[in-house]
Amino acid sequence: MPETRALRISGALALAAALVALPHVLSFSQQEILVFLVINVLLVMSYRFLALTGEWSLGHVVMMGVGAYASAIVSKRLGFPVPLAMFTGAAVAAVVAWLLSFPLFRMKGFYFLIGSFAAGEVIRLLWKRFRDPFGGPKGLKRIDELPDIELGALQIDFFDPVAYYYFCLIVVVVSLWFLFRVERSRVGLTFHAIHWRDNLAASVGVDTRGYRTLALVIASFFAGLSGTLFAHYVGAINPNRFSVEEMVYVLTWAIVGGTATFYGPILGVVLLTALNEVVFRELGLEQARPLIYGVVLIAFVVFLPRGIESVVPRLLRVGGGLSLSGGRRGT
Amino acid sequence: MSKILSTRLSRRRLLSAATTATSALAAANLFPRRVFGADHSVIKIGFLAPLTGDVAAWGKPGLDGCRIWGEWINAAGGINIGGQAHKVEFVAYDNEYDPAKARAGATKLIREDGVKFIMMLGGDTWPGVQPVADNTGMLFSTLLPSDLSPDTATLVAPAEVHPIYNVTGVDWLARNRPELKSYVICAQDDALGIPSVATYLAAFEAAGIERLGDPLLFDPATTDFAPVVTRMLASKPDIVCLDTAYTDYVHPICEQLYLQRFEGQIISCTADFYDKIIERTSREFVEGLVFQFPDFDDPALETQGVNFRNPNRFFEEYAKRYPGEWGAVSWEYASIMDLWMAAAEKAGSAEPDAVLAAMKEGGKGLHAFGEADWWGTELFGIDNALVGNWPVVVIENGKAVIKEFGNIPEWWVKHGDLLVQHMEAYGQMHYQRG
Repeated sequence: MPETRALRISGALALAAALVALPHVLSFSQQEILVFLVINVLLVMSYRFLALTGEWSLGHVVMMGVGAYASAIVSKRLGFPVPLAMFTGAAVAAVVAWLLSFPLFRMKGFYFLIGSFAAGEVIRLLWKRFRDPFGGPKGLKRIDELPDIELGALQIDFFDPVAYYYFCLIVVVVSLWFLFRVERSRVGLTFHAIHWRDNLAASVGVDTRGYRTLALVIASFFAGLSGTLFAHYVGAINPNRFSVEEMVYVLTWAIVGGTATFYGPILGVVLLTALNEVVFRELGLEQARPLIYGVVLIAFVVFLPRGIESVVPRLLRVGGGLSLSGGRRGT
Repeated sequence: MSKILSTRLSRRRLLSAATTATSALAAANLFPRRVFGADHSVIKIGFLAPLTGDVAAWGKPGLDGCRIWGEWINAAGGINIGGQAHKVEFVAYDNEYDPAKARAGATKLIREDGVKFIMMLGGDTWPGVQPVADNTGMLFSTLLPSDLSPDTATLVAPAEVHPIYNVTGVDWLARNRPELKSYVICAQDDALGIPSVATYLAAFEAAGIERLGDPLLFDPATTDFAPVVTRMLASKPDIVCLDTAYTDYVHPICEQLYLQRFEGQIISCTADFYDKIIERTSREFVEGLVFQFPDFDDPALETQGVNFRNPNRFFEEYAKRYPGEWGAVSWEYASIMDLWMAAAEKAGSAEPDAVLAAMKEGGKGLHAFGEADWWGTELFGIDNALVGNWPVVVIENGKAVIKEFGNIPEWWVKHGDLLVQHMEAYGQMHYQRG
C-alpha cells in the first residue's frame, strides 16, 4: 500500500512538473491553443459533473456564456475588478441555473435534454435581442483583461498566453479538486444513486430533485467560471460563441473521452483539440479538417464505444505487468 | 514477405498502431519551435479568414484568388523592394469565424510565420485579434469597415467599404426605374445584416422610395424562408431588398419570391452563384436583379481607371481552376494585395508601419475601381477606409452586367447625415459599438 501511495505521489508530481513545463516546449500559437484547452477542460468537467445525476443537457455552453456575459458586463459597466467580476459571473451562472431548474426538473431524460436546449436558446436570443446591455448579435468587445501584476522584479502581463495559462491552470486545478471531492463525498454517491436508481433513491427519502438541482447549480457555476476565463482573455464574446454547435463539441469531448472516470473527458478534450488544432493544421490539412475530424470521431465511436478512458486500465495493466515481472526477475 | 502478409491484423494491433502513429505525429509537431525568416527573398502574407464553416464562402474564394495573384506576381519577377526582388507567399489560417481561433491564428502568422501583412474578413473575428494588433503593430486589412474605430490604427479597409457602397445600387435604381415607389427589406439579425439595413434605409430615403413596414430581421439560424417572404409580400411592395445576406439566405429567399409569384424588383448586396438562383427559379424571374459584385469578365472592367490587374484574364483563370466558385470576395483580397504591393514598393520596405504610411500618403489611393479617398472619420472615427467608385451590377439575359460605377463620396456629400442618422438608430456608430 505505501508503494502505491508513493507511486501516486510521484505520478502527481511528474504531472504537475509536466503541466508547468508544457508551455515552454510549445510554439506561440500552440500556447494560445493551450489556454483555450485548459478552459475547455473546466467546461467539459463541469458538464460531466452534471451528467453524474444521469441528466444530459444541451444548454451547458449557454451557462458558460452566462458567466462570460455577466463577468464582462459587471467589469465594463460597474467597474468591478476582473477577479471579482469573474467570481460574480460564475455566481450569476449558478443563480440562472437555479432559476431554470424549476421548469427543467419537471422533466427527465430526453425531455430534459430538449428542455435544456430550449432554455439555452431563449437565453441566447435575449443576448441577441437586447443590444443594451448584451451588445446584440455582435456581442461585447474590449472586455477588460486581467490586470498586470508588478511585484518588484516580478512582472506578469496576462496578455502573454503563458502567464494566462498558469492563471487558468491554478483556477482549473482548484475547481477540479473541488469537483473531485464533491463526487467522492456522500453527495457524490447520492448523485450516482440518482443516476442509476432514481426511483429507489426517492423511495428511501432522497430528495432527487434537490440533488439534481444541486448538480446543475454547481456544474453551471464552473461552466460560468470557464466562460469568464474565456471572456477576459479573448476580450470579445458574442452569442454564436455559445451556440449549440459549440455544445456538440463538448458532447463529443465527453463521449470520445468517456464519462465513467474523472479523467475520461479530459482525455477526450486534450486528444481531440490536439488533433484538430495542432496536428491537422501542421499537416497542411487546413480545409479538410472538418472531414477528417468527422472520420476520426466515427472511428472512436466504432472502435472505442466506451471512450478513450476504457483503454487506460488496459495500458496500466500492461505497464504494471511489466514492472511486476521485472520485479520478479529481480528477486 | 509471405510471413508479413500472413500476419493477422487484429483490431488491437490496428488501434495500437494508429495510436502510436498519432502520438508520434503529435509529438513531432508539438515540440519543436519553428524558426522563420531565414529566406529574406520571400515575403509572407497572412490570410486569416474562415476557410471552413458557414462563412467560408467569404474566405476561401479570396484565398484562391490570392494564389492566382501570387503566381502572376512571382512569374513577373516578384515584388521590388529597395531594388531587390522578393517572391510573395501566402500563409493561410482557418479562423472558422471564431474570435479565439482568430487570435491564435494571428499569433501564429506574426510570431511563427513572420508575415508582413494580414488580410482578414473581419466581423466577429476582429475583436479577438485586436489585442494582438495593438501589441505587435501588425498591419491588418478587413472587408468589413464596421470593424474600424479610433482605436484600430493598424486596421485598414482598402477594398470593400461594406455596406456603404450599397447606396450606389439604390441610387441607380431610383434614376433608372422611377416607377418603383415602395420597398420592403429583410435581413439576418447579425453583425453583417444590421449596418447594411441602416445603409439601405438611408439610401432608399435619399431616393424618395417609401418603406412599407419595419425591416424584417430574421434569426441567422432560419432555414425556412416561406413565412419571411409571405410577410414581406403582404404589403405588395414594388421592390424587395435582401440586404447583405449570406448565399444560404439569398438563394432560398429568391426561390420563395419566385414560388410566391413576386413580379417586382429585387435588390441585394450580393448574388453569389446567381446561375444557381436561375436554376432554382427562371431566367425571366432573375432578369433585372440589382446587386453590387461583378463578374470580372465584364468588358467594363478593362476600361481606363480600373486598377485591378488583368481582370478578364483573372476571371478566366479563376473559372478554369475553380469552376462555379466565383463569388463576391474572389477578387477582393487580390485587389488588396495590389494596393499593398504598390505601397511596399513605394516605401521601399515591407514593414507594417512603413507600408501603412505609404498607403495613406496624400489621403488618396488606387482602389480596384478607380482613385479613391482615405475616408471614414465621420462614420468610423478614423480615415482608414478607401472609398471611391463602386459598380452597380444588373443581371441581363442570365449574366451579370456592370451598368455604371457609382460614386460613393458624391452620395455621402449629399446624404451623409441620413446615413449617420440611421446608423445611430441601429447603434452602429463607432462610439456605440461594444
